[in-house]
Amino acid sequence: MANLNIAVIVKLEPDFSEGNVSYNADGTLNRAETKSILGPHSAVASNAAFYAKVRYGAQIAVTTMGPPIADTALQQAQLLCDADELHLYSDRIFAGADTLATAEVLKTGISKIEGKMDIVFSGHRASDGETGQTGPQTAWKLGFTFLGNVIHYDVNMQNKTVRARRMISLQGFYDVVEEVEAPLPVFIAIDPSYKASFNTVSQRLAFEKYQKEAKTRAQDYKQYLKVFNAQQLGVDPKLVGLPGSPTIVYKVERIPKAKASRKAEVVDGISREQVAKVASKMYEVLEGMVIK
Amino acid sequence: MKYQHLYVVIEHEEGKPVPVSLEMLGEARRLMDGYNKKYSADEKVVAVVLGHDVRKLCEELIFYGADAVIYADSPELRYTRNLIDTKVISQIATNKELAAKFSDASGFVKPRYMFFAADNIGRQLSSTVLAELESGLASDINKLVIEDLVIKHEHKTKGQPEKYERTLEMYRPDFSGFLWTTILCLDNRNPAIEREYHPQGCSIIPGVFAPIERDDKRRGAIVDYLPKFDERDLRVKIIDRKIVKSAVDFDSNKAIVSFGRGIKDSPEENIKLVAQLAKDLEAEVGVSLPISKKPFSVSEGTSSTYMIPDRVIGTSGRKVAPMLYIAAGISGAMQHIAGMKEAGFVVAINPDENSPIKDECDIFIKGRMEDVIPLLLEELRKRKPAIKVRK
Repeated sequence: MANLNIAVIVKLEPDFSEGNVSYNADGTLNRAETKSILGPHSAVASNAAFYAKVRYGAQIAVTTMGPPIADTALQQAQLLCDADELHLYSDRIFAGADTLATAEVLKTGISKIEGKMDIVFSGHRASDGETGQTGPQTAWKLGFTFLGNVIHYDVNMQNKTVRARRMISLQGFYDVVEEVEAPLPVFIAIDPSYKASFNTVSQRLAFEKYQKEAKTRAQDYKQYLKVFNAQQLGVDPKLVGLPGSPTIVYKVERIPKAKASRKAEVVDGISREQVAKVASKMYEVLEGMVIK
Repeated sequence: MKYQHLYVVIEHEEGKPVPVSLEMLGEARRLMDGYNKKYSADEKVVAVVLGHDVRKLCEELIFYGADAVIYADSPELRYTRNLIDTKVISQIATNKELAAKFSDASGFVKPRYMFFAADNIGRQLSSTVLAELESGLASDINKLVIEDLVIKHEHKTKGQPEKYERTLEMYRPDFSGFLWTTILCLDNRNPAIEREYHPQGCSIIPGVFAPIERDDKRRGAIVDYLPKFDERDLRVKIIDRKIVKSAVDFDSNKAIVSFGRGIKDSPEENIKLVAQLAKDLEAEVGVSLPISKKPFSVSEGTSSTYMIPDRVIGTSGRKVAPMLYIAAGISGAMQHIAGMKEAGFVVAINPDENSPIKDECDIFIKGRMEDVIPLLLEELRKRKPAIKVRK
């Protein structure tokens, strides 16, 4: 029996890395030409779950909602966290869901996983949608305490509590580092800067053992994969997909080009003489000699 | 009416409002003034405050545009905790007696609109509150319009044209910074899935909207709410809390050197050049949003030092106003411009004269940064002894 029951929510996302990402002429993402991978924030969430496996022993289920090809995201996540189960929630009626309708599917799916859930992990946000709403909304529907921006956590197995360090940025006002203690179950949205560290010999041994196991498992990931459609999940069709989404995308437009706010002097970048003038100008500006 | 007023969830630190709180109130004031005139209505801007010893803050919020403030004051609310705050805010938002203190609330069920800050606290709080209120939410909004719209939607209206009155159009710049998506939160009028979705909620990007001028002659209702806590929820405890300054300091340096996707041909070397330029000018290093997604493979040290969200300048990061701003290999998406347009003097280095950054700079050096920066470094060094840059 594993000590902790853990679920990880992941997402298949466009690969924004150079060489894989493709942009249209107008600067927007070319979705057809861009490959899809396990989202980088999902990868961090998987790493955080793996930490629990190594430290405390855990049964891990990785879950995602998406088209059938999203099983590759599950496979990539399994490689990172040595997942024992992979759950894909896939149905045409889930398509077009906003965050509330997505959270409904994820909540229903996670509630069906065997065993009483202790921790659910998600990434900070998806790198395509970028709302960061699906995690907290799933947590709320599950009735779990939501802890966001978590940069470090440990579990007290005796008291059944988690202690988490959170990094809260208020954009230009101040940042706060907070230590919070909460009874299990909790939902942790992991911060992109999270890094697991394994300090003792026994942890390192466990790390190697599970990592090896993860490699073997991920090669044969389909054996661990379960696919659920809407009916198998038992979701209310009125609460998922487009019918279950309060919000719609009304229109998408190019952001109108702002009126030129400055008049640029154009300088030839390979002319030493011209660049030299820019260098002088820079010092003048810094010395406060240029009043605009 | 079932749905009334615009509720604004205020963020503060020990009674001192976070700037975005006053910015939200300013935009709420402008929107509701227009709304009340257009619809001959008398709906209010209602600030919602949770905290301890916050009475003075409530008065300030009236001076900054709120018609009414509902506050919950308790030592348990001194610092924000998502679980408890979500419940208290939801209790306030659905409490008819509170709304009756400043309006005719006979039919009141929920707010019509609701604003949160799009920072780490507000994004999460908006998500859980709107999940509790079972309504729709748009994140990271930088433009808002209230209008009557005719909507034809497969699910919402079963394909029939339907008039939606007093709809909040929520504009959201997408990750590329080039597209604007308008999100609406609409009732399902389709009989098969009929359902009402209110409030229409959104989180608002800090630094976008202007607060209104403080006017201490403004008067409004301040309403006290005594929250009910669930004992179990109080088991979530804040053990320790430290305010930290970001290691990235955009405010006390006179210059900032930023780089964007233009580093692509030789990322590692180009970042080194940028870092050197910054060092010579005693400048801080900034990046454009795409860089924080680490699209290039560089050494671990370079990646963790430079390609980080903390350095992002723009609507998704910080707003800066140095004396000198150098944009190297940055195309100039609106989302970046919004973060640096207050800079004193702007120099762009870019091979493409058609990039939008050209309209946002004072000197446009046409060329690739790998060619331009070494030349610039040499010329700067020649001049450095003559004029010393003071900190």
